[in-house]
Amino acid sequence: MKIAVLVKQVPGSESALPLSPNEKWIDESSVTFVMNPPDNFALEEALLIKEKNGEGEVVVISMGPSRIQKVIREALAKGADRGIQIEESDDIEKDPLTVGKKFASVLKEENFDLVLSGLQSDDTGMGQTGVLIGELLGMSTATLAIKTEVKENKIKVKRELESGWFQWVELPLPASISIQSGLNIPRYPSLKGIMGAKKKEIKEILLSAQNQLSNLQSMDKVSIPQTSKQTEVIEGDTEAIVARIVDVLKKDIKVI
Amino acid sequence: MLSFIEKIVFVLLALGCFGASFVTFGRMFRAISIGTNPLNWKDILKNWQVGLFAFFSQKTLFKTRPVVGLIHAFVAWGFTLYLIVNIVDVLYGFIPGFSFLPNNIFGNIYRLFVDVFSLLILFGVVYFLARRFILKDQRLEINKPVMLSELAVSGMRFDSLLVGSFIILHVGSRFLSASFEIAHTQSDWSQPGANMMSKLWIGLQPDSIVMMEHITWWMALGLILLFLPYFPMSKHAHLFMGPLNIMAKEKRRSMAAIEKIDFEDDSIEQFGSSRLHHLPQTQLLDGYACIQCSRCQDACPAYVTGKELSPSALEINKRYFLNENLTDLADGKEIDIPLTDWMLTEEAAWSCTTCGYCVEVCPVGNEPMVDILRARQDLVMMESKFPKDAMETFEKMENYGNPWGLSPQDRENWMEGRDVPLMREKKEAEVLYWAGCSGAYDSRGREISQAVVDVMNKAGVDFASLGNEETCTGDSARRIGNEYLFQTMAEQNKETFDQYKFKKIVTQCPHCFTTLKNDYAELGVELEVVHHSQFIDELIETKKIEPKPWMDEDVTFHDPCYLGRHNNEYDAPRNVIQSILRDGELKEMEQSKSESFCCGAGGGNMWYEVKTGDRINQTRVKQAVETKAKTVAAACNFCNIMLEDGLKTTGNDEEVNIMDIAEMVSKGLNN
Repeated sequence: MKIAVLVKQVPGSESALPLSPNEKWIDESSVTFVMNPPDNFALEEALLIKEKNGEGEVVVISMGPSRIQKVIREALAKGADRGIQIEESDDIEKDPLTVGKKFASVLKEENFDLVLSGLQSDDTGMGQTGVLIGELLGMSTATLAIKTEVKENKIKVKRELESGWFQWVELPLPASISIQSGLNIPRYPSLKGIMGAKKKEIKEILLSAQNQLSNLQSMDKVSIPQTSKQTEVIEGDTEAIVARIVDVLKKDIKVI
Repeated sequence: MLSFIEKIVFVLLALGCFGASFVTFGRMFRAISIGTNPLNWKDILKNWQVGLFAFFSQKTLFKTRPVVGLIHAFVAWGFTLYLIVNIVDVLYGFIPGFSFLPNNIFGNIYRLFVDVFSLLILFGVVYFLARRFILKDQRLEINKPVMLSELAVSGMRFDSLLVGSFIILHVGSRFLSASFEIAHTQSDWSQPGANMMSKLWIGLQPDSIVMMEHITWWMALGLILLFLPYFPMSKHAHLFMGPLNIMAKEKRRSMAAIEKIDFEDDSIEQFGSSRLHHLPQTQLLDGYACIQCSRCQDACPAYVTGKELSPSALEINKRYFLNENLTDLADGKEIDIPLTDWMLTEEAAWSCTTCGYCVEVCPVGNEPMVDILRARQDLVMMESKFPKDAMETFEKMENYGNPWGLSPQDRENWMEGRDVPLMREKKEAEVLYWAGCSGAYDSRGREISQAVVDVMNKAGVDFASLGNEETCTGDSARRIGNEYLFQTMAEQNKETFDQYKFKKIVTQCPHCFTTLKNDYAELGVELEVVHHSQFIDELIETKKIEPKPWMDEDVTFHDPCYLGRHNNEYDAPRNVIQSILRDGELKEMEQSKSESFCCGAGGGNMWYEVKTGDRINQTRVKQAVETKAKTVAAACNFCNIMLEDGLKTTGNDEEVNIMDIAEMVSKGLNN
């Protein structure tokens, strides 16, 4: 079983997020980068599948500038067998279809049985990469997996639906599955893993610019959400209070 | 006195028993040699004075339980005297008409001492046996849920009974023998006890007296020979193994500053200890030095609050495991059973707050805490088996450079509104002020950092802070067992230190203090580091600041483990508190200074929770409340957080409040 895990490096949830001067992205110089947390679950799931199978290969693939080597090493330390870095300039791609195409062109070469990705990235949160890759490579595709069972040439996936519902689906391999966070407990690398990771291969691939671009989406401006506090003291008799609360919930906050 | 046949029997018995004892000791030391870090006999023997002093002074016994310690000293001193007594008695048996310095003042003093100490030993041992078997002193028991070897459960009682009975029979017979000798010859006022006893034999036939003399002689000396083969593996061997262990004790800069691991060395395959043979030989010796007094668990925060850890059980399990596998180990066979199956459970390993109480009070120099630190290294670095919360802490330290997981860009936010010079601007300062992660991110910690810089500014100290360039020292990582992460953090800080010029580091965090001062030295980074209690104490002493006394209510001081036991600083914080007391007094808690009871946060326990048993901070807070002091003075941000939580959860927060000593002084300077 040959498994690819797509891993992205994103700003940590507690990181400072200053905007870049042109307000098209963030100023990365003071950002603390971490492995995209949903991808960490995907990686763990891949490692568990490999361990359960008793054989196979887990290849971690990431796209970005040289800083992303850190997350690839981290994944290798946890047990991935080798890494691939799709090289990118500091101005990272934000259009999902372009991202999907770039990954697909690299994945195509390797004939993976399974492509796992986190359901979305913590930075742009598009949630499309796994699905797009499945489509581009002609793989069966499922999203939001909360349980996986690999069988002979197929995979059974429990998908999370809304309102507490879930769905079991069986897909033929190869498949591209996006993984919901929390389905496992990601491991901490052992020292042997950390040491071993230094010797594992990270293949750097520089894609030629043509063919992969779609430019269906572009990032025009980013801004920090404005937060404001409003307080209203509702007074009057019970009926008036209830009426006002219902009014606020309906019209102002729009939750009912 | 002895007949020819008796002499032959004695000599043969002596040869056999000494031989058997010697062989067993040999096997024990061969078993010990399965450990790492071979005992360096040359260095150990160089410490002979240390061992002898500990043996004769019995000093290490008086740190806690002074009364029991004194009774033990009677037995120990008496027993030392008995080494001479036994030789003299053998000569008496073998050489007809032999008498040791008869009618001589020294001979009489000798006899007086023997007489008195025989009675003291008998009293002492009877008391010890009564304490264990009749009074059932709880301090000698090891309570659930601690894992204790099946063999130890019955073995300890048997061993105690056998050793106790042996001493009573040996010394008692010797005493009787002396009384029969007196009855047989003449009154001897240099032996008042035996003399009185001899009165009982008046009226006995001379033949019977001679026979009794033979019997008691054999009871005294024959018994000692019969005991010899059992002696090495009994806990009684502590009288030899104890001082030896003190002599062999590893010299550390502070008790948790264990030897560093060289990650560059490719030949190392095992990090930390998961099997007996991964422990250093001095640590294996600990098991044989242990007399099972369990002083170490008296104020072990984990044991007292009912968790799975008892440092005493750890050592007892070690001894029984060594004995059980003695043949294999002596043959150099490694036993492939994890320490967590027989020495201490995994949860026990995580329950340790590394407060150092066990190491501090052990009369024979055992270091159970070091075993725990090594076991943790294995669990973290080799097996990745440790509390999930600790894993998150590691990741936060790796990603953000602090265990809170907050942005490194926010580290210097606590300085807002304060005049705090930055190293990156100043490049050089007399004092590098190290706020530490808690001093930078925790809301109470920030107030304490502000108080420290207020004091420094008032004193006109030339200082600067690293601000956002500061990163966690790695203390928690090291104590939890992640040596690799610790060294990574240390390396990062070293690079920052190298950029600037400063004479010393001042910090209010005892964890940063000991790590920078002692643990970094293990990595070759020598720094002069001062705790804020010491620094402020000196500022007061040199009159750089003169805080106005303002405290009219009583204050009690909670000793931080890493300032007190780990670095022997008990006076500085107390001096600082004294400087602001007006009508109030400093009240000591039931356990203070070297016997202080931990707040529960040390050893990484700040970041994960062991749920078994009571909460450590609540237990400590009860002791603070008992002093009736209105203020608990702290000198550690972790202690501050833990005790504040303890006060709140026990409903004492309205009555008692917590202040850092820097805040107290700062208030005294503003008034």
